[in-house]
Amino acid sequence: MLQLASRNAGPPHRRYVIRTMAFMAGYVAINVAAIFGAFDEIIGRPVAWVLAFAVAAPVVGQIWATLSLMRESDEFVRAVTAKQFILSAGLAMALATLWGFGESYANAPHIPAWLIYPLFWACFGLVAPLIRSSR
Amino acid sequence: MRNQLKLLRVERGWTQEQLGQALGVSRQAVIALETERHDPSLDLAYRIAALFARPVEEIFDNPHAG
Repeated sequence: MLQLASRNAGPPHRRYVIRTMAFMAGYVAINVAAIFGAFDEIIGRPVAWVLAFAVAAPVVGQIWATLSLMRESDEFVRAVTAKQFILSAGLAMALATLWGFGESYANAPHIPAWLIYPLFWACFGLVAPLIRSSR
Repeated sequence: MRNQLKLLRVERGWTQEQLGQALGVSRQAVIALETERHDPSLDLAYRIAALFARPVEEIFDNPHAG
């Protein structure tokens, strides 16, 4: 989030960055461990759902961090943050929908659904710097 | 919304940071108000008016006034 790095950011933003980094670290750590085979023994078994929930949990945590930022911030930051997230989530959903129907109707290659989260952040990176007004 | 916020702040020799602290908002919010990128809520407009001891309409132009 570009505006987070600015010198205008206050304590709510700093707490948001710390919380985001913590949740991102959990997300990345579990996936890196999976890539290096730490969970190979449970892949394909029902117990692997625990792993799936564990990777999804930081995403829920991120939503909490965002809501906390909005609760702790002033009205301008709250409005801008809401706009940034609504636009990013909408763009990510539109792209995922496009690709999903592309798979159904146009033989597009399959892409795993978990890519929606990195896609959301990619959209956020594009959208956030453009949202500078609360209107 | 056009306003006199920057003028009033500079008259008092305050920084944007100081004004933000006095109002309980971030420096980002002060910048957005001064550059007309944020229309304040009624509550914030009254807080600003009280801080500068001026009526709201002396600080913010009423876009609906004839």
